[in-house]
Amino acid sequence: MLVSKGIFQMNCVLLILSTSRTSQNAIEYAVGLAKKEKAKLVVLYIIETELTNEVFDKFTDIGFIGDKPSSELAEAIMKEYRQRGYEEMGKVQIRAMEENVDFDAVTTQGDFVEKAIEVIERYKIDTAVAIKRKRSAFLKYFSKSVVDELVEQAPCKVEVFEE
Amino acid sequence: MNVEIDRRPIWIIVISKGLRPLFFLGLGLLFLYLINLPTPEGLTIQGQRAISLFVVCMILWVTGMLPLAITSLFAIVTVPLLGILDRKETYALFGNEAVFFILGAFIIAGAVMHSGLSSRIALAIMNRFGSTQTGLLASIYLLAASLSFFMSEHAVAAMLFPIVLEIAKGLNLRPGKSSYGKALFLSLAWGCVIGGVATFLGGARVPLAVGMLKEATGVNIDFFEYMVVVFPTVLILLLIGYLGVTKFFPSEIEDMHLAKMLFDRKMKEIGKIAYMEYSVGIVMAITIFFWMFFGAWLGIANIAIVSVVGLFVLKLVRWKDIEEYVNWGIILMYGGAITLGTAMERSGAAAWIANTVISDWASSPYAIIAVFSLLTILLTEGMSNAAVIAILLPVGIGMAGKFNIEPKIITYAIAVPAGLAFCFPMSTPANAIAVSSGYVTTRDMAKAGAVMMLLAWIVFNLVARFYWPMVGIKV
Repeated sequence: MLVSKGIFQMNCVLLILSTSRTSQNAIEYAVGLAKKEKAKLVVLYIIETELTNEVFDKFTDIGFIGDKPSSELAEAIMKEYRQRGYEEMGKVQIRAMEENVDFDAVTTQGDFVEKAIEVIERYKIDTAVAIKRKRSAFLKYFSKSVVDELVEQAPCKVEVFEE
Repeated sequence: MNVEIDRRPIWIIVISKGLRPLFFLGLGLLFLYLINLPTPEGLTIQGQRAISLFVVCMILWVTGMLPLAITSLFAIVTVPLLGILDRKETYALFGNEAVFFILGAFIIAGAVMHSGLSSRIALAIMNRFGSTQTGLLASIYLLAASLSFFMSEHAVAAMLFPIVLEIAKGLNLRPGKSSYGKALFLSLAWGCVIGGVATFLGGARVPLAVGMLKEATGVNIDFFEYMVVVFPTVLILLLIGYLGVTKFFPSEIEDMHLAKMLFDRKMKEIGKIAYMEYSVGIVMAITIFFWMFFGAWLGIANIAIVSVVGLFVLKLVRWKDIEEYVNWGIILMYGGAITLGTAMERSGAAAWIANTVISDWASSPYAIIAVFSLLTILLTEGMSNAAVIAILLPVGIGMAGKFNIEPKIITYAIAVPAGLAFCFPMSTPANAIAVSSGYVTTRDMAKAGAVMMLLAWIVFNLVARFYWPMVGIKV
């Protein structure tokens, strides 16, 4: 974290996207923030594997087809998720280039909070921008969103967009 | 070494680590408690033990704490250990005709998938009818349904998914946002679900139910008879489903030339039909013909296994290919379910439950059909449809005995709704696939699926009331 002449200056802004969490508003905000603060923009894209695993497990447990078609199906889903990730990153990169913002991209898969914190620590992020899915009051009452967990655990400020 | 730190609050960690042992300890204690209760009047000691085992298996199937197949294996070994049936009889039940029919049908479906015939048929039909947005939607929906008449709905969903995904991408539909994208994937899922109940081949649940019925009562339902009884329900549901999908998710696109280009490219890629595809198709067609018209005489399992031998004689598949295309574990599930169902029936447990626990609310045969079909359609949304049959059918057959209803009727009332899971990704793999595309959200599926589930239940009961008597099923 850089501090010059008593004024806080950002070093790195992190934009966290994932398979089910993307938002044009969040992208615009993160690019704008990085430009305003003359910070580097790091984009983390997390490929969510829970759903793919769930589909594969379902086929293994109750499905009527064997390992080969189940694995091919899981691969097809993962390939699609990766492709979407590259497309999203491409969009952010174009916006960053248009605004003359220094840009870095990380693609990973696994646990949302764990991976986000890993990148926050590695890049010494000052502000992270995350997207939270709108959830029903019932779900909010009974379970915590992973983005809420990230806000609690992250060693930096996390700005949340709810979409 | 990479050390993973569990960052969750300590109380969550303690609960999550301790929950599983506590669950099994509790289940064991419950089993001991049930088995040591004084035997109620009218129930034999074997019946009491069968009910105790049934409760444990039911909890395991509902919670999914063990794989379904392992719960079934547990049931198979526990039945003779508790003296409910003798060992010879118990293990003989695993060699039930239904289990071998399921085995044969899975192998034939595996051969069809392996040959590429099913993908070719799918592409050819989409290429022919997919030039307009309604044509494409209808062709995906009807393809999923009609292919599920002949092979397992799960195999159909897995086979069609990559094609539908490419179409959605080719049309630049936005995941989670595009209404047409939602319609495409919901059509795929619902087509498979509705088509899957039309014959014995759409899912193994129907042969399972028929096998349980035969073991318990000696009554059989043959391939053709089942189709005649169930087909009107399927046709009406297909119509309602299509109208529902187009109503819930109207198309926002006009230009379909990108999809047409995709089909042209795909058709060129797969080239001309090969000898293997022809031959597998002919074997499949002959097998279905025999199942339909000679099934009762020759036995559906015999026909299935002879066809499998034929595939190998003609060198159309190798064992290695078949091994990869069949889920062998699930066959254990079916064997175990038949064993447990028979144990419930032969020990008198099913009849005792029907007489003492649930007979009060049953005012008429139609009320019984309505309640069992409702219970089934609700349960199947949250658990494996085969497990629903394994749980409800023994009790249902017991009820049929008490009210002098043909046990076939109860079998239909459970076997058919057990396949109609529309609401959640966890209900059936076809739904899970649709949601995994990212185009349909769980919320979309739950909203539209709840309406569809209710309509399916109403249609099933109306067909039972007005159509079944016309084909000789007297309620």
